[in-house]
Amino acid sequence: MEPLGIVFTVLAAVLAVGIVVGVIAYRIVQKKRGRGGCDCGCDCCSGGCHACRAARKGDDGR
Amino acid sequence: MIRFALAGNPNCGKTTLFNALTGSTAHVGNWPGVTVDKREGVYKKLSEPAEIVDLPGIYSLSPYTPEEVISRNYILDEKPDCVINIVDATNLERNLYLTTQLMEIDVPLVVALNMMDAVKKSGDRLDAAKLEKALGVPVVEISALKNEGIQELMERAYAASKTPRAGSTVLAGSSIAHVIDDVKIALRGKEVENPLFHAVKLAEGDELEVAAHPDEMKMVGEFKTQHSDDIFGGDFEALVADARYKYISANFSGALVHSQKKERGALSKSDKADRVLTNRWAAIPIFVAILFFVFHLTFGEDLFYLNAIFGFGFDVETGNAYLDAFVAVFFNGAGISTPGAILFNLTDFIMNTCLGGWIADGMAATGAAAWAQGLVNDGIWGGVAGVMSFVPQVLVLFLFLSILEDSGYMARVAFILDRIFRRFGVSGRAFIPMIMGFGCSVPAVVNTRTLADDKERIMTTRVIPFFTCGAKAPILAAICGAIAAEYTGVSADLLVFALYLFGMIMAIVMLLFMRQTSMRGEVPPFIMELPAYHAPQFRSLMIHLWDKLKHYVKKACTIIVASSIVIWFLSHFAWDWSYLEDELMNRSILADIGNFLLWICTPMGFGLQLSEFGWVFVVAAVTGLIAKENVISTFYVLVAAIGAGVAGGVGDDGENGIGAVVTLMQQTGITWQGLIAFCVFNMLTVPCFAAAAVVKGETPKGKFKFTLAFWMLTSYVTSTCIYLMFSWPWTVAIVVVLIAAVIAFFILRNKGIIRFRRKRKELPAAKE
Repeated sequence: MEPLGIVFTVLAAVLAVGIVVGVIAYRIVQKKRGRGGCDCGCDCCSGGCHACRAARKGDDGR
Repeated sequence: MIRFALAGNPNCGKTTLFNALTGSTAHVGNWPGVTVDKREGVYKKLSEPAEIVDLPGIYSLSPYTPEEVISRNYILDEKPDCVINIVDATNLERNLYLTTQLMEIDVPLVVALNMMDAVKKSGDRLDAAKLEKALGVPVVEISALKNEGIQELMERAYAASKTPRAGSTVLAGSSIAHVIDDVKIALRGKEVENPLFHAVKLAEGDELEVAAHPDEMKMVGEFKTQHSDDIFGGDFEALVADARYKYISANFSGALVHSQKKERGALSKSDKADRVLTNRWAAIPIFVAILFFVFHLTFGEDLFYLNAIFGFGFDVETGNAYLDAFVAVFFNGAGISTPGAILFNLTDFIMNTCLGGWIADGMAATGAAAWAQGLVNDGIWGGVAGVMSFVPQVLVLFLFLSILEDSGYMARVAFILDRIFRRFGVSGRAFIPMIMGFGCSVPAVVNTRTLADDKERIMTTRVIPFFTCGAKAPILAAICGAIAAEYTGVSADLLVFALYLFGMIMAIVMLLFMRQTSMRGEVPPFIMELPAYHAPQFRSLMIHLWDKLKHYVKKACTIIVASSIVIWFLSHFAWDWSYLEDELMNRSILADIGNFLLWICTPMGFGLQLSEFGWVFVVAAVTGLIAKENVISTFYVLVAAIGAGVAGGVGDDGENGIGAVVTLMQQTGITWQGLIAFCVFNMLTVPCFAAAAVVKGETPKGKFKFTLAFWMLTSYVTSTCIYLMFSWPWTVAIVVVLIAAVIAFFILRNKGIIRFRRKRKELPAAKE
């Protein structure tokens, strides 16, 4: 294999691993920040969604 | 930081004002319950930043609905520095009812008369100074929609927040003023905050107040025995409401002078439109027709079926492949493309023909290893491109649905469907979160908090995923598009529309089933204010679409691409970690996992009856649990290998999502019946992890496992029935008989003809 081919082969592997590890790390960080389930982009992610923040008892009288 | 709370009736413009103040993209819906929890932001144009809290819309501070409890508790417990009461100036009397209650709380209060642009347009005149003098609190004219009067409102609210305010009541001249005073003094003696507010609520018999202040409630009880009223008797709540409205009518309504142009009893434009759109007989057909029109413009390939009627479509061939592909975006053998088809074709052209081709050529030119080229082309780029191609179509669908919602039409649909839904055990109120499910199940499930009845809420959360969300739309578009491509006379948009309708019908059927079994009970009443029709705000629509686009791109560049890489890896490596060429994919880890589960899917038409690549459907259904878009990206990633691995190539090498499904049809032998069953399975089964997590959070403890079982059983049984009935029409008779037997059983049980004896527990023998 040509040197350029080796470089791009390695880059492809690093990119793929980096993406997978990065996404997993991102989800873990989001969960620790209380935005662990959703990222749906909906307006409820501003604070009213159970998937995006830890459930707070008593807010809605229940 | 100082805090201002926005309080007011539903549809008075609170969230519009909130967005204008905070620059937020909070969604403005046109029916009650869009804001189900408080929303917070910051206003930075005062001498110090001010936190703005958008409370849910309420008609009063009585604790009958979750929204009223949220708003009331926030104002009483969190003690904002000022409450900005937004009043719809076009509906003054009704809005001021809440104002008279807010006035009773010891909190600085400013009234914002919103929709002043509509008042002026109608020729009416509103004297804000007169109203301010009568109310005793600052009153500011604004138009949140046109961004007028906002700065003045905030400056007056800021000034008001610096001065404490004692509550005042409009009931001072009523027959129960005396007992209110006595209770207030008693509460003040106990150092209870907001004594006037609590005293009035006790007089009304407010259940929260009765529980909190039993001693003072005795005082009210004693007063009741001596008090007599010819109209209301002992119903002090009605008496108080009547007294408030009388005071409003006598003292505040004079501030609004109606235009002389208006005839008494004349119908407004909204009323005239409602005569048609909410007509008893025409309303449902009109709704179905509008929905079909929306789906045709989104998923159809032949605009208004002109080519089917006149037959003028043809594929342009100039000799230049790129030019031919570009022209085909707008016009091809199917005819003139619909807006949705144009966007899909254009995105497909850019993502696959241009970018995808350049990436593949670039990787090949570098001389990278074959597996690295496959990883980049199919695993990384393939997964993203497969999903992103459908994004424009999904956005077009969102745009149309948002127009229907923001114009006020969807509120009418909830009202119309209440008549039908009530027969199946739910009120039309439940339709509101369901229709939100067409966008995303997550906010739809959160919106069920506005349903006061617990059983209705649980039932609604269970059927919301049956309303095909934006993530599932690519599955339907790809599969229906493939069926239309392979079978003549089939229209993709009709198929998609039929499947969407089927999801809605299944929701109604399962609601009825639950009402007859585990969720028996009365249907709660449904009262809703219908907002006037108005043209949706362009800016609001575009902001909403931009949010959705950002979400899709973020999802595609994170979870989808990561899932595609993992799928590519598992489909190109064996258990001993040796790399497998495309043609050996059937020996991969993924193929083994898929084949292990294949037998389960056989009754649904995508199991053991398929050829060697049939496991792809099983794997796609499983990856769809992470995110429904993964179904298409899975097809895209795996079909690239199938296409390359089959000797002689295949008709379509899966250059787009539709092509991927066509390839699968040709290579696995799956029939259209199996594909429809696969669609139905994905529509009705467990939604994505995010939606499932929200449902779990909103479901009472211990009920979620039943919800999971409900989804699994419903999807499995329904898709099996669909496959059997479409493949062997005689099975329709068996299914009909079974359904009839179930219906007969419930009818006989409800009439008391069939009863179940409860086993009596034997009492222990008495000791002598």
